[in-house]
Amino acid sequence: MNMKKWGLFLISAILTVSIVGCGSNSNGSGEGAQGGASEGEQVIKFATDANYAPMEYMDKDKIVGFDIDFLAAVMEEAGLPYEVANTGWDTMLASVRQGTEYQAGISSVSITEDRKASYDYTIPYFESTNMIMVKEGSDIQSALDLEGKKVAVQGGTTADIIVSELFGQNNPNISRFDSNTVALMELDKGGADAVVADNAIVGEYIKNNPTKHFIGITDVENFGSEFYAILLPKGSELKAKLDPAIKTVIENGKYAEIYEKWFGETPDITVLQEAAE
Amino acid sequence: MDFRFDIIIDYMPLILRGTMLTIGISILSIILGSILGLGIGFGKMSSRWYIRWPFQSYINFFRGTPLFVQIFIVHFGVIPAIIGRTDPFIAAITALSLNSAAYTAEIYRAGIQSIDKGQREAAQSLGMTNVQAMRYVILPQAIKRMIPAFGNEFIVLIKDSSLVAVIAAQELMYWSQAMSGQYYRIWEPYLTAALVYFILTYSLSKLLNYIERRM
Repeated sequence: MNMKKWGLFLISAILTVSIVGCGSNSNGSGEGAQGGASEGEQVIKFATDANYAPMEYMDKDKIVGFDIDFLAAVMEEAGLPYEVANTGWDTMLASVRQGTEYQAGISSVSITEDRKASYDYTIPYFESTNMIMVKEGSDIQSALDLEGKKVAVQGGTTADIIVSELFGQNNPNISRFDSNTVALMELDKGGADAVVADNAIVGEYIKNNPTKHFIGITDVENFGSEFYAILLPKGSELKAKLDPAIKTVIENGKYAEIYEKWFGETPDITVLQEAAE
Repeated sequence: MDFRFDIIIDYMPLILRGTMLTIGISILSIILGSILGLGIGFGKMSSRWYIRWPFQSYINFFRGTPLFVQIFIVHFGVIPAIIGRTDPFIAAITALSLNSAAYTAEIYRAGIQSIDKGQREAAQSLGMTNVQAMRYVILPQAIKRMIPAFGNEFIVLIKDSSLVAVIAAQELMYWSQAMSGQYYRIWEPYLTAALVYFILTYSLSKLLNYIERRM
């Protein structure tokens, strides 16, 4: 009896040790080492939530997207070795705030005043506007028509902030989902009348689902534009290195090149430069 | 480390509203799941394999697949097929009840089968029918043994109900995530939610302890 117990104890101890061992060995899974770290130089680790095509998403086991290409250009300009890891949204927020394991986050993070209390941002690198997506034949024409309608958004995004401000945060007609994918499914299944999301997301979804007959509505008047920036811990020294590099990449045409690759159109650079000041 | 109580206070009305919904969803799911589980538990105890089989399959499916996926299946598949649109509240209760029933079914079965055969035989020798023996002799003894297991299951269910935030059921975790999204902070919303869940589960376990002692 006693021998049996000891045997069980040993087996579980061995299992625990081996599981923990595997965990620390495969630490690098999902991380794409880029930039070629040279000896002695500290690799800057970026966290992202790769669930936001086409800005950042997983292509099989690789993190790709506009943000990732843009970051590559910036880090090349700055001459710093770096890595990007797909940590998911919450882990990104918590670890960037700490700043020990991950020194920065790049994940279509919009600049808002509430968030500035807890983080620093680089200068903006992307202008985004929110768009309304409805089924064909819907009577919704502008943001004001959303009053009294069921609206689905991805929680915590600026789309969420905008509709919360327009219609009240505790309005039961606003449904906040974990991802835009689920919000769009809610629209498809008839649980919502409209989805509000970043123009890049809406464009990508309509492109990928041509048979569903969704249309996107732009409403510049009610949805002001917002800017994405790289998320940094408070007082980060990286800001001084990244800001000039971002500025250069935007000015020297690299930015426009990447933008055209992902969105097929020319970006409005002057807006970004004005917002940077 | 700075901890911003001001944003918790800011969100307090929504946290409270979410807590009320969490309590509502949990209580309804516990009740419906226990009733459904009783039927499934008896079905599984049938001596005929063709009666046993569907109940066994039910338990295998709901215990063997992630609740997260079941919530999506119910919300985007089952409920729209029945009422023609999605409804997060109905989907949340349906998914949690169906899932919980699979676990409670096994608790009923284990409790009933733990009662010595002699009890049933003694009841029958007094002229009781099978149903009477179950109702007056076996169940009263079995239920007392089931209570600790039910306590476990109900506590798990209360915490699992946080998963229905993925279909935008506006419960406690939903508002915690909203708070996190607005301020990009982790500890204030999630520690607040953890505290509320703890209060709920701790009260429930105290209540069940009390019931167990009284029986």
